[in-house]
Amino acid sequence: MRIRAEQLCKKFNRMVADGNRKGKSRQEEFYAVDHVCLEAKGGEILGVLGPNGAGKTTLLRMLGRLMEPTQGQVSVLDDEGRILTDEIEAKRHIGYLSENTRLYKRLSVREMLKTIAEIYGLSTEEQQERIARIAEVMKLQDFIDNRIERLSTGQTQRASIARCLVHAPEIYIFDEPTLGLDILSSESIIEFMRGERDRGRAVLYSTHYMEEAQYLCDRILMIYRGGIIADGTPEALMNETGTENLRETFRVLIDQTEQGLVSGRGTAKEGEA
Amino acid sequence: MNGKILKALYRKEMLDILRDKKTILMMIVVPLILYPLIFMLSMYMASSMLTASTSKSYRVSVQEVAEPQEMEIFLLETEKEHDYDFIIVDSYTEHRDSETALREGEIDAYLIQSVSENKPYYEIAYLASETDSQTAAGMLQDMMKDYRDKMRRELLEEQGLDSEQILSPVGYAYKDLSSNEENAGNLLGYMIPFLMITSILMGAMYPAIDTTAGEKERGTLETMLTMPVRNLELITAKFLATSTVAVAAAFLNLLSMGLLGAYTYSSMQYAGSAGGLNVFSYLPAILIMLLCVIVFAMFASGACLSACIFARSFKEAQNYTSPVMIIFMLGGMAGMIPSLRLNETTALIPVVNITLLISELFKFHFDLSLIAMVLFSNIAYAGVTIVLMTRFFSSENILFGDAAVSLKLMEARKDMKAKQIPGVGDVILLFSVLLLVILFAGSLAVVRLGICGLLVEQGLLFAVTAFYAWYIRTDAVKVFHLRRPRVFSVIAAVLCWAGGYLLIQVLANGLMGLFPDLSQENTQMLVGLWEGVPLWLLVLAVAVFPAVCEETVFRGFLLGALEHKYSAPAAVIVTGLLFGLYHMSLLQFVLIGLLGILFSYVAWKEQCIWLSILMHFLNNLTSLLLQQFEEPITKRIPALAGEMNGSTVFFVLLAGAVLLAAGLFLLQFRGKRGELK
Repeated sequence: MRIRAEQLCKKFNRMVADGNRKGKSRQEEFYAVDHVCLEAKGGEILGVLGPNGAGKTTLLRMLGRLMEPTQGQVSVLDDEGRILTDEIEAKRHIGYLSENTRLYKRLSVREMLKTIAEIYGLSTEEQQERIARIAEVMKLQDFIDNRIERLSTGQTQRASIARCLVHAPEIYIFDEPTLGLDILSSESIIEFMRGERDRGRAVLYSTHYMEEAQYLCDRILMIYRGGIIADGTPEALMNETGTENLRETFRVLIDQTEQGLVSGRGTAKEGEA
Repeated sequence: MNGKILKALYRKEMLDILRDKKTILMMIVVPLILYPLIFMLSMYMASSMLTASTSKSYRVSVQEVAEPQEMEIFLLETEKEHDYDFIIVDSYTEHRDSETALREGEIDAYLIQSVSENKPYYEIAYLASETDSQTAAGMLQDMMKDYRDKMRRELLEEQGLDSEQILSPVGYAYKDLSSNEENAGNLLGYMIPFLMITSILMGAMYPAIDTTAGEKERGTLETMLTMPVRNLELITAKFLATSTVAVAAAFLNLLSMGLLGAYTYSSMQYAGSAGGLNVFSYLPAILIMLLCVIVFAMFASGACLSACIFARSFKEAQNYTSPVMIIFMLGGMAGMIPSLRLNETTALIPVVNITLLISELFKFHFDLSLIAMVLFSNIAYAGVTIVLMTRFFSSENILFGDAAVSLKLMEARKDMKAKQIPGVGDVILLFSVLLLVILFAGSLAVVRLGICGLLVEQGLLFAVTAFYAWYIRTDAVKVFHLRRPRVFSVIAAVLCWAGGYLLIQVLANGLMGLFPDLSQENTQMLVGLWEGVPLWLLVLAVAVFPAVCEETVFRGFLLGALEHKYSAPAAVIVTGLLFGLYHMSLLQFVLIGLLGILFSYVAWKEQCIWLSILMHFLNNLTSLLLQQFEEPITKRIPALAGEMNGSTVFFVLLAGAVLLAAGLFLLQFRGKRGELK
C-alpha cells in the first residue's frame, strides 16, 4: 500500500506585529504546509526531517486524516494502485502515532487494546490472539493489566505503539516517536520500524534527530518553512551537498534556502507545528 | 452507524466515566449521604425553632390613656387560653418612651391607646424586620380580636339581647373533599420535578464535561480521531454514556428521596400526626415518571454535551454549562406557577413540559396524548442536539483551535481584517439581541411614545445591526446587497410582491377560517395607537421605517451572512422563517414567513436590498391604507368586505399566481449588468 499527497497546503492564522501601528498586532494568514507532494511506498522508511515549526506535525496530521487540508489531497492506494475513496476506509490502513495521541489513562492496557480491536471490527478470538501477540512483541506482559496512568514513560510509549498495531496497518505515520525516550526505549522503537519495513509496510516518520535518521531512513524529505527543500536517500543528499553527515547536509540546505528566499521570493513563509 | 463500534465506544466511555472519582462522588455521595444529611439538619432546625417559639415569652408593653388598665388586665387574664407567655414591661418607668424600647430590643411589641372621639382605639406597634416582634404583634392582634368580641358581647347583653344569636347568626364549616393522596400529590407535584431536574442535570453535567473537554484536555481525542470512527458514532456513544450516568444519578436521587419520604411518613404515622395514605395509588405516576426520567436524561445530556463539545478546556466547558443549568432550574420551577398548565403548547416546551407533566401526574391527571407528546418531544429534541453536534463537530475545530460556530464579535476589532462575512454565531447572536430589543426597549418605547415609539423601535433595530456590522468590519456591499437595481428587476419585484400579497391574503383567509382563534391575535393592539395620527406619520412609522430597518436586518445582515455559509435555498428559507419568527405570533409566523421567503429570494437573486425594501414598503403601505380607508373601499368593492367566497378566492388565487409567475419569470432575465462583479 502507498500513501500519496498532492499539492498539500494548510493555511493558519497567526498574530504578527503590525508594522503600521506601534505595539499593535494583527492577524495574518500563512501556510504551515505549502504545496507539498510526496509518496511513501511499502517497504521503505521515509523520514520527514525539519527544525521545530517547519510544519512536520501539520503535514503528518493531514496525511493521517486528522486535519482537513486547505488545498490539495491525500490518497491511500492499495497494491493494485486503486485509490481508497472512503475516508474511514482509508483510516483503517493507517497507524498514526504522535506525541499528542495520548492513551486513556483510566483504562488498563488490555482494556484499551480490546476497545480498539472492537472498533476495528475484530472478532473475539482474533482480538485475544492479536493482543497476546502484540503483548509479546512489545513486551507488555508485565504491565498489561495495569491502568495506563500508573505506567512509566517508556512503558507508555510501548503501549502507544501497541495501540497502532492492533489493526495491523499497512502504513505507519509516526510523529517524533523517539522524542524524550532513553536509548533502550528508542532503540526498541527503531527496531520495530525496521521490522515493519522488512515486512513490506510503509513507514513515514518525522524526527529532528539527524543521526537516527541517517542510519534508519531509506529516503529523506527535508521540510523547511512548510515546503520540501530536499528529497532523496541520505547518501545522495550528502553527496549533493558534499557533506559528511546529515547534520551538516541539513545546515547547508537551510542556508541555501535562506539565501534563495532573500534573493528570490522575498516574502518568507514560516511554518508552525 | 456501525453497532459494534458504537458498543465498543460506549463501553469505553462508561469505563472512563465510572473510574473517575469525581463522577462517583457526584453520583453517590450527594444523593445518598448529603441529601439525608441536609434533610435531617433542616428537620432539626425546624423543630428546634418550633419549640423555641412556643416556649418563648415575649415582652410587651401596654400604654392606656386611663386607669384601670383594662387591656393589660385582659391580656394577663387570657394569655393562658392561648398558650401565650407575655411579660408586661412597664415602659413608662424604665424608658421614656416605648418606641425607643422597641428599637433597642427591650420589648418585642407594644400596644398604644390613642384618644378617639367615639371609641377606644389601639395601635399595635412592632418591627416587621424582626421575627420575634412579628410573632408578638400577631399574638397581640389575636388578643385584640378576643377583646373586641368580649366588648361586643358585653354591650349586647347590657341591652338584654342574645349575643350569640346576633354575633353569629349563620354557622359554617369547611369540608375538604380531596383525598389525602391528592393533597400530598399536590405537594409532591411541586417538589419532585424540581428535585428530579436538578439531580439529572447534576448527573449529566460532569460526565458531559469529562467526555468532551476532559477528553480533549487529556489528549485522547486525537487518538480517537486516528481511528476509523465517524462523528455520529463518537457523539452517540458519548451521548449514551452521559445519559446512562444521568439516569443512574436520577434514580439514586429518587431512591434516596423516596426512602427519606417513607421514613418521614412512618415516623409521622407513629406520632399519630399523619392521616392514612395509600402509597400504592402513586404507582402509575411513579412508573410514568421513571419514563420521564429516562427521556429527560437524554435531553439533558444532549443539551449539556452540545454546550461542552465546543469548549477547549475543562474550565471553558464549565462556563458554558452554567447558562444551561440556570435555564433548566428555571424550567424546573414551572410547576410552581399556578396558571401554567400542561396543554398542547406547553407540552412542546423543553424542560417546562416535563415539570408540568410530573406535577399533573401526582395530581392524578392522566392525559395519554399529552404524556406521549411530552415523551416524544424530549426524544426528538435529544435527537436534534445529536444531529446538530455531529454537523458542527469537526476534529479540526475541536482539536486545533478555531471554534466551530464562529463568533466574530468575540475578537478585538483591531485584529480583524476588513471585508468580513459574519458567521452563523453572529447571526444567532444578533437575532437574539434584536428580539430582546424589540421585546423590552421596543414595547417600552411604544407604551411611552405611542406611534413615535414605533419609529424608535425600528431605529434601534437599524442602529444595533449597523453597529454590529461596523464592529466586525463587515463587507457592507456584499453582506447588505448594496447594488443598484435594474429597471427590469424593479418591475419584477413589484409583480412578485403583488402576486405574493394576493396569494397570502387567500392563505390568511383560509387559515382564519380553519383556526378562528388565531385571527383575534394582536391585530387589535396596534389600532388603538393609530387613532388621530396624521397619515404621513403613519406611513412613515408603519411603511417606510419598517421597510428600511427590517430589511437591513433580514435581507441585509442575516441573508448576507447565511448565503455565504450555506446554500442559497437554505439561506433564503431560513431568513424568511426568522422574519416570520420575529413577528412573534403563530399566524404571522406562517404568513410573514412565506412573504419573507419571497423577499429574501428576490433580494438574493438580484443581490439588491433596494428591491426587498420596495416590496416591504408596498406591502405595509397597502395593509395600512386598506385599514385606514376600510369604509370607502368596501363601499366601492363589496367583495373585499368580510370573508371571501368561492369565486373570489379563485380569481384572487389566479391573479396572484399569474402576477407572481410573471415577476419570477422577469427575474430570470439577466441583462448585461446582471452578472455579479
